[in-house]
Amino acid sequence: MSIKRPRISPIAWGIAPAALLFVLFFILPFGVMALLSVLSGNPVSNPNVTFTWRHYNRLFDSDLYFDALVATMRIGAVTTVISLLIGYPLAHWMARMRSRLGHAALLMAVIAPLLTGIVVRTFAWMTLLSDRGVINTTLQWLGFAPLPLMYNEFGVIVGLVHIYVPFMVLTLVGVIGRIDRTLEEAASGLGAGRFRTFLEVTLPLSLPGILAGSLLVFALAISAYVTPVVLGGNNVLTLPMLIYQQVSASFNLGFAGALGVVLLAVSLALVFAYNAVLGRLTGERQIA
Amino acid sequence: MSKRFGGAHAAYLTLNGAIVAFLLLPIAIVLVFALNPTPYIAFPPVGVTLRWFVKFFSSPEFMNALWLSIYVAVIVVILSTVIGALCALAIARGNLPGFRLLTTVFLSPLMLPAILTGLALFQLFMLAGLGRPVWGLVVGHTLVAVPYVLRTTLAVLQNFDRRVEEAAAMLGASPSRVFFEVTLPLIRPGVIAGGIFAFIVSFDQLPISLFLVVPSGETLPVVLLNYIRFDLDGAIAAASMVSIVLALTAVLLLERIIGLRAYVRL
Amino acid sequence: MTKWTFSRRTFLQGTAAAAATIAAPAVHAQTPVLKTTAWGGKWGEVLKGQVIPAFEKEHKCKVETDSAFPYYPKLQATPKNAPLYDVLHTNTSEQWQAVVEGLVEPKLSAKDIPNLADLYPYATSDKICGVSAFTSAIGFGYRTDKGLSEPKSWKDLADPKFAGARGSYIIPVNSLGQMHLMMLGKIYGKGLTDLDAAYKALEQLKPIKMYDFTGGMEKALLSAEVNIGVLHDSGIYRYDGQNQPIAFAAPSEGVLSLEQVWNITPGTKMRELANQYINFILSPDVQKTLCEAVWYSPSNKKVKLGANYDAKLYNTEAKVAQLIQVDWKWYNERKDDIDARVTRILRG
Repeated sequence: MSIKRPRISPIAWGIAPAALLFVLFFILPFGVMALLSVLSGNPVSNPNVTFTWRHYNRLFDSDLYFDALVATMRIGAVTTVISLLIGYPLAHWMARMRSRLGHAALLMAVIAPLLTGIVVRTFAWMTLLSDRGVINTTLQWLGFAPLPLMYNEFGVIVGLVHIYVPFMVLTLVGVIGRIDRTLEEAASGLGAGRFRTFLEVTLPLSLPGILAGSLLVFALAISAYVTPVVLGGNNVLTLPMLIYQQVSASFNLGFAGALGVVLLAVSLALVFAYNAVLGRLTGERQIA
Repeated sequence: MSKRFGGAHAAYLTLNGAIVAFLLLPIAIVLVFALNPTPYIAFPPVGVTLRWFVKFFSSPEFMNALWLSIYVAVIVVILSTVIGALCALAIARGNLPGFRLLTTVFLSPLMLPAILTGLALFQLFMLAGLGRPVWGLVVGHTLVAVPYVLRTTLAVLQNFDRRVEEAAAMLGASPSRVFFEVTLPLIRPGVIAGGIFAFIVSFDQLPISLFLVVPSGETLPVVLLNYIRFDLDGAIAAASMVSIVLALTAVLLLERIIGLRAYVRL
Repeated sequence: MTKWTFSRRTFLQGTAAAAATIAAPAVHAQTPVLKTTAWGGKWGEVLKGQVIPAFEKEHKCKVETDSAFPYYPKLQATPKNAPLYDVLHTNTSEQWQAVVEGLVEPKLSAKDIPNLADLYPYATSDKICGVSAFTSAIGFGYRTDKGLSEPKSWKDLADPKFAGARGSYIIPVNSLGQMHLMMLGKIYGKGLTDLDAAYKALEQLKPIKMYDFTGGMEKALLSAEVNIGVLHDSGIYRYDGQNQPIAFAAPSEGVLSLEQVWNITPGTKMRELANQYINFILSPDVQKTLCEAVWYSPSNKKVKLGANYDAKLYNTEAKVAQLIQVDWKWYNERKDDIDARVTRILRG
């Protein structure tokens, strides 16, 4: 038996400003870009353009670009999982911290990395991870062999995790903080140990935050450019790196557009699927 | 039993301490750069100097960029929190169809490399003959800031106990009173978290700004990127430290004035 | 307390002030604006701090410089009759991309830019569209404290003792990297256009660290992350006087030319001013100021640099003859294929 859908309430109008912003400044320009991806040139400066599929053909012709897509998704997924594992304990601590000063200090510690700026922060990681960087010089001083921490996917993931853990933490903190403590107290009152309470009460209740945080981090990680370029060297090729190259060095706006369309389509599909699976777990069908 | 409790708690604290150290390590490096006298970035440091800060503060290009970045970021925070919160409420409470589709769609600007968004916006403005006004920059930043506010506010709304609202209604409060005096305060932590993101995202935004800034109207990240292509010295580290200190001061002030902490748990 | 009296004098002063205020925007609106591009860093400081104010004063105009690279996509996104820039300053490879699309002029007129007559031939050769106002020589930067002798040949980069300690550039995005690839074709094969030989040579260079701009290479050399890397002389000489254990080596097979090229957009409404600006950049005084600031070599024959600059830079007919210019038109036509091939070679 299907439940009759409730009437759309007037508060639905709240979506209007966001919708307007998106239609005008995202969907429209994105449409322009998608259009460019099927044209042979830029009609603004070159009136003799024709429709063509050659940009998409090029994409599917060579396995280089498919590999880049796979690498992008893989790096995104790994970054998300690690950010979650690292971010959750910190968010839990922050949400449960009683001291106001301690909470403020943690908040600042979490936000500070984001404020260094993408350019400087990546240079800082280079200084830490490179072959003659801080970590390797320390290792050698201690008598160990140096490790290849950079110019590979490891370095890229470390750099990305570092940037995105704060996003995960801040998303989770609000949700965990709002979990009703009495529920946890009730569980332990009924004899559950701390770990079991966590596993069966806190964790499920924080699932909306986990969902929101992981979606956010995944979306950001798959569109990252500066970090993979600087920390991956030539050994890591992601789709954003390809797109940047095409826009700023090869000037193939059509091909860049095609890459963008594919990246967005695949990501939207993945996100939608993830959203659906985890959404079912939280029972958010009936959130209204 | 208490020993096991103590052990688990110690492990918990150690783990979190290590995470915080991981987060702060690069900042320590940046601080070292900013104070290191050598005119290039190196480790180990050879001394302490303030000349990079002096260089930063006495450069009109850096200072203008700093003020523009702050100005744009503040406007973006206001716009994106309002737009994002309204959108979250609409999606969560408006009984609109396609909840998951809507949230995915509004998340999409983040999935597309910002260089494409920047280029597409630039092309649009040029086609419309608008040039590159500052409000264009604000719009571009707001576009990528709204998804954050939306996600964090939605996450809080999903954990909501509707019974508080129902109780207020049963006690005789009108729907609008329930909204303003119960709902809004309860979603504040989500909106504030989103607002913090919005500020950071706008302040640190690079690819979209690259396309939408005008000569002598450049934001700090653009100026820093250009600087670093041609000069590699401590001034960029000094710029970084100043940004951090400024923003943290703002957070601290905010904390003192409205007590952020109180909004995380209720 | 004196009472303020409304005297005729005050009235006249007030009216004059009001008139001036109303007229000022009108006067300001008539000041012509020249839109151009400029790199940042030290170059930008000197250009915007000294060179441009002098030009603005002399020609009663305003010059706006865009420092947010990349320039080409922005230029391409604006209509040809209302281009984003009047004067485009960028590297040769980008100028060639632009001229193929009709976004910049193929050649500049010596009638409109008198200083063109005083330049070395390479500055207006057929490998350049527009004019090369400055150049640097691409060779090797290397560390002097690792017991290495000065590299004499481009082939030295492949020396096994440099494995894992040599550097070049991400070829799809960096023109030094692209020029190095072409050079590999010349050294190991039949010439600058022998891509097969170049690809083979590139394979032999692995492992090699790749950077996306020269600043990254400079940092790598300074921190001993690499001991030898492809770099232009300006990238080493700018640390002159700081006692860094790095030096520049010009390989015997010749150095490549990294040109700074100025050009005009066909649709510009400020053609006369644009020509004057380029002429200004080519004048001996301005050339001297900028060269000595960032260690570029000037293209005007009449420039007299300081002694220590003269010793190292390419400032005579004989020295300038050693600069190798590449065929960017040829390269750009094949760029996509080259990029794909190179990425495959280096990624595996």
